[in-house]
Formats: sequence, structure tokens, C-alpha cells
Amino acid sequence: MSKSEKKVTSKDEDKKKSDEKAIGDAIIAAANARREELAKEALATRSNKTLPKEIKEKPKEEKPKESKPKEEKPKAAPPSKTDTEEVSLPEFEKSFVDKISSQFTGDVEVGYIKENRTRVNVKKEKILEVAQFIKDNLPFDHAESVTGVDFPEDKEIGVVYHLGSYTDPTYSKQVLALATRVPREENPNPGNDSTKLPSLRDMFYSVEFHEREIFEMLGVYFDSHPDNRRLLLPEDWADLPPLRKDFRNKGR
Amino acid sequence: MAEQVIPTKKMPPGLQVENVDDRIMTLNVGPQHPGSGHMRIIVKIDGDYIVDADPDPGYVHRGEEKMAESRNYITNIPHLERPVIHDSCNILYPYVLGVEDLVGIEVPERAKYVRVIAAELNRCIYIQYWLAIYGIFLGHSTMFMWPAGDRELLIDLMEKITGARVTHAYFIPGGVRNDVPANFEDVCLRQVNYFEKRIKEYADIFYDNPILKARTEDTGVLSREDAIRLGTTGSVLRASGVDYDLRIKEPYDVYDELDVHTNVLKSGDSYARSKIPWLDMLESCNIIRQALEKMPKSGSIRTKLKPNPKGREDEVYRRVESGRGSAGCHIISRGKPEPYRLKLSVSSFRNLIALPYLLKGEKLGNMPAVYWSLNYWPVEADR
Amino acid sequence: MSVIAPKFRLGYFLKGIFDNAFWILTIVTLAGIPAIQIVLFYLELPVIDGELLTAFLAFTWLFNPTMQVPLIKALIYSDLFRIVAFPGFGFAALIAAGTIFVERKMLAKLQLRVGPFYCGKVEGILQLAGDGLKLISKEIIIPAKADKPLFWAAPVLFVGTAAAFVALIPVAPGGWVVADLDVGLLAVFAVIGFFPIITILSAWSANSKFPFIGGIRALHQMVSFEIPLILSLLGVVILTGTLNLSEIVESQSSFPWIIFMPIGAIVFFTTMLAELERIPFDLPEAESEIVAGWLTEFSGMMYGLVQLGSYLKLYAFAALFVIIFLGGWTGPVFWPPLETEIITEGIPIPNYAGDPILTVNAPGLPLLDQDPNEWVLQQQGELQYTSGQLLVSGVIWFVLKTVGVIFFILLPRGVFPRIRLDMLLHIGWYKLIGLSFVNIFIALGLVYAGVIGPGGIL
Repeated sequence: MSKSEKKVTSKDEDKKKSDEKAIGDAIIAAANARREELAKEALATRSNKTLPKEIKEKPKEEKPKESKPKEEKPKAAPPSKTDTEEVSLPEFEKSFVDKISSQFTGDVEVGYIKENRTRVNVKKEKILEVAQFIKDNLPFDHAESVTGVDFPEDKEIGVVYHLGSYTDPTYSKQVLALATRVPREENPNPGNDSTKLPSLRDMFYSVEFHEREIFEMLGVYFDSHPDNRRLLLPEDWADLPPLRKDFRNKGR
Repeated sequence: MAEQVIPTKKMPPGLQVENVDDRIMTLNVGPQHPGSGHMRIIVKIDGDYIVDADPDPGYVHRGEEKMAESRNYITNIPHLERPVIHDSCNILYPYVLGVEDLVGIEVPERAKYVRVIAAELNRCIYIQYWLAIYGIFLGHSTMFMWPAGDRELLIDLMEKITGARVTHAYFIPGGVRNDVPANFEDVCLRQVNYFEKRIKEYADIFYDNPILKARTEDTGVLSREDAIRLGTTGSVLRASGVDYDLRIKEPYDVYDELDVHTNVLKSGDSYARSKIPWLDMLESCNIIRQALEKMPKSGSIRTKLKPNPKGREDEVYRRVESGRGSAGCHIISRGKPEPYRLKLSVSSFRNLIALPYLLKGEKLGNMPAVYWSLNYWPVEADR
Repeated sequence: MSVIAPKFRLGYFLKGIFDNAFWILTIVTLAGIPAIQIVLFYLELPVIDGELLTAFLAFTWLFNPTMQVPLIKALIYSDLFRIVAFPGFGFAALIAAGTIFVERKMLAKLQLRVGPFYCGKVEGILQLAGDGLKLISKEIIIPAKADKPLFWAAPVLFVGTAAAFVALIPVAPGGWVVADLDVGLLAVFAVIGFFPIITILSAWSANSKFPFIGGIRALHQMVSFEIPLILSLLGVVILTGTLNLSEIVESQSSFPWIIFMPIGAIVFFTTMLAELERIPFDLPEAESEIVAGWLTEFSGMMYGLVQLGSYLKLYAFAALFVIIFLGGWTGPVFWPPLETEIITEGIPIPNYAGDPILTVNAPGLPLLDQDPNEWVLQQQGELQYTSGQLLVSGVIWFVLKTVGVIFFILLPRGVFPRIRLDMLLHIGWYKLIGLSFVNIFIALGLVYAGVIGPGGIL
């Protein structure tokens, strides 16, 4: 919150930040160069002793790739969509996922159906309705965990609700992942940009703290959440939301 | 009103200038407070009654999830157990299971049994520590010293297995790090039997104590419906009458071959919540004895991994029953040696949501009893 | 190079010492000795045994064996000695120190650990001294917005009030009490009534939230437990018909009152725990709820003084329980017999070879008798026990009983958890007051049935 205010009030801050960013990039570039050098050296010393030539080449190529920013290698497919075409889908899991997908054809896409684990991808406009449908018609009664994932190459942030059931013993093994995506902005301004989702707190009360955590860690603002404050981060945090991919760990 | 003082600025929690009511006093319980642990609860009291409680975790936030994104699947092991070093095997368990799914390796039979034994021993170690703090929170200093002393028995056992007293880093994808020592079965059986005898004595001094019963019964009552609605887990859930234990409901490794019983109490008050972990310890002793009996006497304890293993492009969500409740691990992999995203869904964080709900309307003197009976570990919630 | 004194030079150090010695000698010879002489010149010295007491004479007596005993005896019977040393502060502080040691070791044994072990070689016996030194050497921090005079005064007042309480406790027969009042018990109630005021004053003057809550709790607890405390002692007053504590003890020469009023003893013991803020009634200092309660802002020796005061209070309450319910110093008199030659002929003092060269005829022996002739009367059979014998055996019985009571005060700390404020008030107002009225009716019944009291059977 305090960050947003700084953004609005003073342009000097932006300038300063861009300067800092430039300096940071320079440092990273220098570090990369140094790392390459070191790798070369290490390989040189190693190759004298034992290693054959093929292995010697391999890390030499990989190292600089990893250390560079992620934008260089866009990857279209999110990881979840790959496993749908399994040969034999488990019956029970398929039955209740079909219930959801038949109710919302077009808005709901089945992510995967595995034993005890299922996933549906929902458009962000329909998330409230789908959650209400699941709450009313299926015995999922609580959210176990809410994961926020940053996909910078898709310019999206994914939010995955893992729903479980305590009341129905037949469902006690099942975990339904209810996933959605929100647009991601390059210069995040948590709370005041387009990275917004409706809160599921009215349906699944247990997401309250999880959603607060995702707001501070990834900058996803949850409308209609009564208590959108920081939870874990310090009060004077004025940097990027730390779980975004462009927030870098020091020394990494 | 506060607007006149600071016009538009919205302050972070705890620093807010508030409309001061003469009757209401705001107390900062923690993080430097003998009754808080590494967290802060902002408590508002009216006389002796709590009218509002706002937990403010994050004092020991270490960004384990962010750290995990830049380390590979093996180097993640030692730092992922740091949130709960007293329960390090159980907090590592879902991660290891998830990585095994992603990498696609099988675990040898003997390793599964060793894992179950280590996990149950570690559960007892954690619960003993938790119980000690619960005792001192209620002003019962003997209940602090006894569990802290008896815990050493099991710590010695774990040291024999793993080489470290608390931070074991014992579970690895594909099995366990090293085999148990030669005459481990006998030593373990003897120490566990003595341990069980000792913890049964706790009933005399603590759980049957009339003052304790008068103090904690009917305080902080969490009804069955609320426990489900708030998504609580573990001992809190089972104290409210919900029979849900992942060791039975979703057996992992060899728990389906063992005879596991779960303990459920109906009342949902602080007393029941504090008694469930103790009953769990007795149950753990049974499980350890069974596992020692059924364990294959020899065999491999680890499937060899490739150096720097890569997970396939997939995501897994695995969960186990830790000392506090369900511990989940959500790993998204993109075919790299590092996880793309790793989320720890820990039980302390899930149980924390019940704290403001339970403290509202409670007396100030009940605060430690209600707070610590949630089986809450502040470091785990912060991650 | 040392960190503490980075510019240390041995020469400068020695020079400093010599400088100091030179100036001290100079000033003492030029100013000090003349000043002493002037003072001695104008001082009016008393005439003792027909001789004017000079400084020379005083020193002579001090090292004269025949005069030492009367001097010591005069000292023992002076008021200063009573206040500072024996029945007063020093004796109580000694027992308090013993209490802390016993508490630590006993609790350790109860909790399967060793307790203080290293300090003082033998079972950590010097741990308390070490703690005291640490407290003295620590900085005293006062909250910025505290009411400083009151905040400073509170620990001193606390110790003072506890010492006043101690002053009312008779320890041995023959008036071994600092203040022997006819209304001793009333005075005790009055002194007890001071503690909540001091507590709330210190808590309020600290201008901090946790001490304030602790002070309010202490006020609730002490005020509501004072009523059953007073009522539970009234039964004994009805039976004995006196408020003087020494007379209450004398009335129990054949049996202690706990036989007839166990209910009163139980009520008094419970209220005692509450007044002393011991577990299970340590709500004003409940550490997991309100840090350290009303002691939160105290630091250094201010905290040490409060601790000293609370342990003095503990001794005084235990002693009060002994005096009222357990018969005080009454018990069989035992006294190791003194050798007759010592009294009749004196104490032979040997030289380095062991041959007696000097016999000190000590007219004051036995030391503790009020009158030296008591011994002669006892030899003749006219007196059963001399006052010295009564004193020694009385003190031994008294200390034994007090230590027993203190043990039972310490014991709940290892057994019970802390109770809650509403439970505490419920116990105080509903149960204890009712029980103490039952006790009063028992006493009245005993008096009117003619069992005890004037013209009673016993």
C-alpha cells in the first residue's frame, strides 16, 4: 500500500528505481560474465583429469542460459495442461469433474484427472459461480491451500485453490484444484491495477489468510475480501511482490 | 477521529491510529512476550474480556518458498525442514513424496518402514516440545520440565538413526539418507516402551489436574461445523469431533499395512485440543512397535537418484499428517532441476485462522490456553 | 592491548597509587587527627563504674575478656539489635534466603533436574548471592513517562511494609518481638492492607499497560482475599479473648488451635497463598498473559528489593500461621547442659602449649539469660527453666514449624497450574468467606458449650 502511494506521489521515486534497476542489471551481467569465466576455468581444470568431452560442453551452454532473465525463452503451455490425455481416467474422479464441466461448458477446462487429484481451470470471471456450484453440489467444504504462481511469459498470474472435504468420507482422499489466471502487469501496483480477483472467502472461509498472503506475495488483489492487509511481510516493504519471478534473491 | 491526525495515509496493522475508546485497551502480545512465541497478537480488551484479536505473523518469515525456486530438488531438503525443526521429518515428508512422484522413482520397502518409524518418533519429539510450552503457558512449571526431559530419549534415538539431534534432513527422494544402526530395533523398542510409561504419568500431574480442567474446559470452544468451515486441521479438527487423519484417510508409504487408530474428542474446547496430541503420542508408540515388527530385516534403504534429477512437466500436491495436522506440498515442475513453484500448505497457517475467531469474547487469562492449544508453531506459519 | 584500559602503563598506575597514598596521609595528619581530637574534647563522655570513659578506656574494655560478655549482652538487649538482627529483619532475611534455596532445590527434585549446582561448590549454595550481586550491578531503567518519585518509592515501601509485618511477629517467649502490641493481630491486618496500595501505586506510576493490568489484578486479588483472611482468624480471637500475638501463643501451651479449627486453618492457608501471589494464585505476575504483571518495568535492584520484600512477606505469613494455629514456639524444652565449672570458676584460656594461663571469670554467663542469677535458681530447684533455655528451644521449635509451613507454601508451585481471575474471585467471595463463617460459628459453639474459654473443660 505504501508503495502505491509513493508511486502516485513522486516521480523521482520511479526515476530512482529505474536507475537502481539499471545498476542491478549491470551487476547481474557482470556476475554472469564472472560465473561463465569461473565455469570455463573449472571445466578447464577438470577436463585435464577425467571428464570426457561431451559432458564438458554441456554445462557450458546451460549456465549462461539459466542466469539470464526468463523472458528469453517463452514457453506457451502452462505445466498443468499436458496430462489430460491419459489412457484410462479414474472413474470416480471423472464423474464429479464432469459435473462441473457440463454445468459450465466453455468456461471450465479440465486440467487433469489423476487418482485422487483433479484440476479444473476456470476463467476469472466465472470463478465465483464455479466455486458456488462446487460448494452447493459437491461435498468440498474447505480450502486446504491456495497457491499463487507467476507466469511472466504468459503475462498472467495463476491462483490455485486446493479444495478438500471433511464431511463426506468417500471424498476424503480427493483434492480438487480450482485454478484461475489473472492478468499480470509489468510494473505492479498492488491493489490499484488490473491484477484483481473476486475473493472466495464467502464460499470457503478458510481462504482468508491464504488470500492475504497471495496479495502481499504476488500482488493479486481480492475484491470483497474484508481485510486486504499485509500478513507476513514487514510493514515497510516497498519492493516488488517477492514471489514474482522478476524479484530476484540476492546472490542468485 | 484518526483522519484529522493523519489524513489519507492507511497505516499497516499495528501502527494504525485508531479511534480511542476509553474502555478498550490495545495490547501488543508479542513478538517479545513470554506468552506469544515468534508472533504478535494485537489484542483489544474491555476489562478482562477480549473484544478483538488480530494475529500478525511474519516475525520469522524466511521466504522458504522463494528460496526453493532457485535450488534443485536435493539442495532444497535441508532448508525446507527449517520451518519446524522439531518435526523436521514430517514437514519434509510431503515434499519428498511429491518429488518422488515427479521424478518417478520407487522407494524400497525397508526405507518406507524406516521413514514411518522416523516420522512417528519425530511426531512425539514435536508434541513433547509443544506440550512443555503448553505447560509453562498455564503456569505449570513441572509440565515444562518433564516433557522437555523425556523428549531427550527420543532425540537420542533420532541421533542414532540420523546423526543429528533435531535437524535431521533424513528423508530424501528415493528413500532415506542412511540405514539404521545395527541393534536399533532392540534399543528403539526399549526406549519407546519406557517413553510410553513416562507419558502415561502426565495424566496424573497434568491432564487429571482439577485446576487445569476447571480452567481449560469450556474455553475457546470450536464447534464441529466451525472447525470444518474454517478449514482447521490435525488436533484442532479432531478435538472438535471430525474424524480425519491422513494416515488413515489417505495412507502414504506403509501406513495402510499398519493398524493405525485415530483419537477423536467431541467437546472442541481447549482441554480437548490439548489432550489430542498426548493421545497421538500414545498411538505413535503403538505404530512404532508395529513398524519395528513388520520391517524387513535387511534390504536397500534408498533408490539411487541421478545427480541433479529433473522433474517431469507436471504438478503434484501431496499431503501427510504431521505433528500438527495435514502438511501439504504443492510442487509445479517445468522439467528443470529446480521446482518452478513450491508451496508449503502447513497446518499452523491453516489453524491460525481460528485464533481471532476463538479469542473473541474470551477472558484475557484464557489467551495462552486457547492460543497454544491450537497446536500452532509460529515459525512454520511464517515459513 | 587491553580493551578496557587501552593506554595502561604500569608506571602511571604506580604513580597514581603513591599519589593517592601521599595525599591521604597528608590530609589525615593535617586535618583528620586534629578534627578527631576536637570532637573528643567537646564530647561529653559517660562515667562508667566511677571512671570517665575515654577512647583509651573504651578500647581497653573492648579487648578485655571480662568486659566483652556484658557488652555483647547489652547489645543483644538493645532495641537496635531487635530491629536489625534477631527477631526482626536479619532473622527474617536469613529465613527468606533459606526459603529461596530450598524452593529452587526442592522444585528441581520435583521436576527431575538438579537445580543450581555450580555456584558455591556445594549444591549451588551461593547461587542466591550471585543473583543478588548481579541485580545490584545492573542498570536501573525507568520508563520515560513514569511518575518517577512514586516509581522509585514503591520497592522501598514494599520492603518497608514487609519488614513492618515481620516486626510484629513474636519468635520466642519472654517478649522476643520488635513491637509487642496489645492489638498485635489488628496491626497485622493493618499492615497487610498496605500491600495492595503499594502494588497499585507502583503499577500505575510505571505508566505501562502490562503493569497496570497486573496491578489491577493484584488489587482485586488482595482486597477480595483480605476479608476471608481476617474472618478466618477471628475464631481464634474468640477462643483466646486477646489480640496480642504472644498471648495467643501462650494460650496454646497444651494443644494448638488447629485441632479445633481446621477449617479456619485451611481458609487462612488458601488466602495466604493468594496474598503472597504464589502459584496457583500468581495472577498478578502471570508471565504468559501479562509478561511479569506489576513487576514488568522494575529492573536491577528495584526488582531485587521487591523480591526480597515478597520473601519476607512469605516468612511473616508462615510465621503468623504457626503462631495462630500451630502453637508458635511451644514444645518440649531442650537445652544442652552448661558445665558447672564454666559458670562458677570461669573459662580457662590456654596458651600455645595447651596449659591454662588465664581464667576468665565471666559474670555474664549464661549469655542468653536475662538475669545471671536464673542459673543459680535453677540449680536450687526454684526455677524450672531459665529464660535462655526457653529462648533457644522456643526459637528452634518456631523455626522448625515455620519451615514446615513454608514447605507447604512452596509445594503447589510444582503441582498446580495458574487459575483464572474469575475463578479466583469466585473462590474468594463465595467459598472462603462462607467457610470462615462456619469456622466462627464453630468457635462460638465451643465457647458457649463451655468446652474452651473461661470456665471451660479444657
